[in-house]
Amino acid sequence: MDAYRAITDRIETLGRERGLSFDPVYFRMTDSDEIAEVASMGLPNRFIHWYWGGAYKELVLQQNKELFSILELVLNTTPSHAFLRRSNTYLQNVLVIAHVFGHVDFFRNNHWFAKSNKNMLNQAEAHARQIRKYEGLYSREKVEALLDALLTVAGTVNAFERSSTERRKRVVYYLEEKAPLDPWEQHMLQMIREESEYFDLIQRTHIINEGWATFVEAELLRDILDTPAWTSLSVQLSNRPAPYTIGHALFQRIKHERGFDSTLQTRTYYEDVRLIDEVLTDDLVRSLDLFVYDPKEKQKSYDLQQVKEMLITQKLYKGEPHVEVEPSSSPKELLLVHQEEDKKLDPKRVGLFLKAVHSLWRNPVRLRANGKVYVFDRRGFSTS
Amino acid sequence: MRIHRGHIAQHKHDLLLREYLKQHLNELIQQKELIIDGRVKTQLATLDLPTLKYGEDAPVLARGTGQGGRGGGGAGSGGGDDEIQMLGGLLGGDHHGRELKVELDFDEFVRLAQEVLLEEIHLPVFHEPSRTGEVQTDALPDLDDLDRIGLRPDLNLEETMLQALMRNIRERGMAEYDVELTQDGWYFIEDPAAYENHRSLEVYVLDISGSMRGEYLALVRKTIFVLWYYLERRYPTNLRRYVVFQDVANEKTRDEFFCVESSGGTHISSGFEKAMDLLQGVTEHDKFLFLFTDGETSSGDFDLAKRRYEEALGRFDLVCYGHVNPGGRGIGGFSEFVQEAVRRLPRATFANLTDAEAIRKAMEEFLEFFTPERAGGARWTRTAPSPTASKP
Repeated sequence: MDAYRAITDRIETLGRERGLSFDPVYFRMTDSDEIAEVASMGLPNRFIHWYWGGAYKELVLQQNKELFSILELVLNTTPSHAFLRRSNTYLQNVLVIAHVFGHVDFFRNNHWFAKSNKNMLNQAEAHARQIRKYEGLYSREKVEALLDALLTVAGTVNAFERSSTERRKRVVYYLEEKAPLDPWEQHMLQMIREESEYFDLIQRTHIINEGWATFVEAELLRDILDTPAWTSLSVQLSNRPAPYTIGHALFQRIKHERGFDSTLQTRTYYEDVRLIDEVLTDDLVRSLDLFVYDPKEKQKSYDLQQVKEMLITQKLYKGEPHVEVEPSSSPKELLLVHQEEDKKLDPKRVGLFLKAVHSLWRNPVRLRANGKVYVFDRRGFSTS
Repeated sequence: MRIHRGHIAQHKHDLLLREYLKQHLNELIQQKELIIDGRVKTQLATLDLPTLKYGEDAPVLARGTGQGGRGGGGAGSGGGDDEIQMLGGLLGGDHHGRELKVELDFDEFVRLAQEVLLEEIHLPVFHEPSRTGEVQTDALPDLDDLDRIGLRPDLNLEETMLQALMRNIRERGMAEYDVELTQDGWYFIEDPAAYENHRSLEVYVLDISGSMRGEYLALVRKTIFVLWYYLERRYPTNLRRYVVFQDVANEKTRDEFFCVESSGGTHISSGFEKAMDLLQGVTEHDKFLFLFTDGETSSGDFDLAKRRYEEALGRFDLVCYGHVNPGGRGIGGFSEFVQEAVRRLPRATFANLTDAEAIRKAMEEFLEFFTPERAGGARWTRTAPSPTASKP
């Protein structure tokens, strides 16, 4: 890291001069393999699950074929840990360092991130140890089956929701409160829920966080890079994945219309839904080539309202169908209802999903969706 | 030292994948088109958590990319006038709403299938010969020739690239330099005679007349995968050629060979003829012919097929004839002739492939070819020129 010490200090100083502030950052030089590993697991010391293995395998495959590579990775912890790829060029790592400072400023200053668990690295380690302990006590097979079911419902967390009535509509919270689980199973559920909430926050601020980091990267490096390097960066910025380019375009718009100080305000108080709702305009939808695509009709719609609604729904439910717990006529029964009647669920997955929920609820589970009622009880899966 | 959690997680994932393959191997292996774009089509393309997802027809938020879906922001998808990119970026540890594709390429499929078959069939153990050819020495020998086995620093890049190109054309029908050293490596060496018994030529000939489908194909492919398991352990480099025949025979790429369209009559003679054509210019030490058919040769071809079979026996080191017979019916037609012939002719084996158990028996016979007695002593020394390098 010695080769980067001077430039790191310069970028940090420049950032502070522009009104950014940071918790300490530990940069570490590593290889693509470790970056793929951390990216697939979310945290370097998280419990090991086959599902991360699939993600890891896919990432490594894509990196080997040079279809895609992760240039950087930074963890929302205090202190922050950032990984730089050893095989990056000097210039690439300079871009990454500036980008990381953007993230670290966001972690420290964003209102929503202030509530996040900055100790997650240690907590994930404690969870992993506890899970290994449970494997010893209750058998690996039992623990793995439970983990599969818990990870299946973990996507229903909502790290932003404070109303207990609203939270109870989400499967994972309802199960935590009411499912007849043994104490160790209950503890497993809590651990998975906590980790999922940590990632939920990252997911819901993905566009604003990546957009801000990209914006900071460009703002700081404009003063540092020579003309050829700056030109190269400008080309790269427009080729990055969607959350980066959308977020970056939104911050550029704010700076253009309201000035730089307003971008600082936005990074402090906004999350993705508010940023999209307030800043996304017709002309940005067009220039970013954002659209709602109907695969049945093979048609694109650039309607601002439609695009906004879809982006916001994706944020609220992580792209998964919006399913809520509703009061059931029988206290033993768990009734789930898909709230978007106009959209069909993939019927092949319904039985497996209900089986996972049933393994936690241990009583009949019903799902109203696709104009049908799907049931999973002790006799198995059926449709009525 | 770091614990490679990614590798451990992948191992867990692969165990599940293997379990899936174990349960579905038979149905997967008999797909008419086994390889598409170098990958094996599976009913379950993903090994996923069973979260709920929208059906395929549901509208999605997307973005035009104009760059073929590159960039890693999500799965690319065709449709409309240009490439579109589904939105939903990659996030550490949170892959919900994002389909993970387990890319099962053909080589990986074969490796997993071999594992499953070895366990299922209880195949005989093959004692791998030690690689005494790859010793280190302080002396600096004169490296004035080329061969397909040698010390890694002596790699001949030009010849290796050329071989890679040829292999990719042969296997996938694509002119690409995708080097696999075990397959393509050519090295500067002292004396090619010292290494010649490290190489094999394997010609696979498949009858694709009307009946060759379903369980028939499954048996052929399982047998080939098991053969590969042994041959890859015996020979550092395997040159494989593929032929299919019905009324006429044609050489195919590997990918085409595993995507057969069965129809037409059965001229077994044409299969033998084409296989012998492929011996032109071949320098490999051991030459194998594996022919798979249900034995019902078309009328008028019987005598010619007999003659070509006998000629093939004279030109290959071993001609393995697989009578594909999943129903376990009596053996008649050309297969009956071959079954009789192997009792009196050297360099010939016959396998009545009725089920997995028959594959095991066939392998026992096949492995006899490698016994030291038959091979004329140890076949893996580098102390050439020695009698071991020449034919027994």
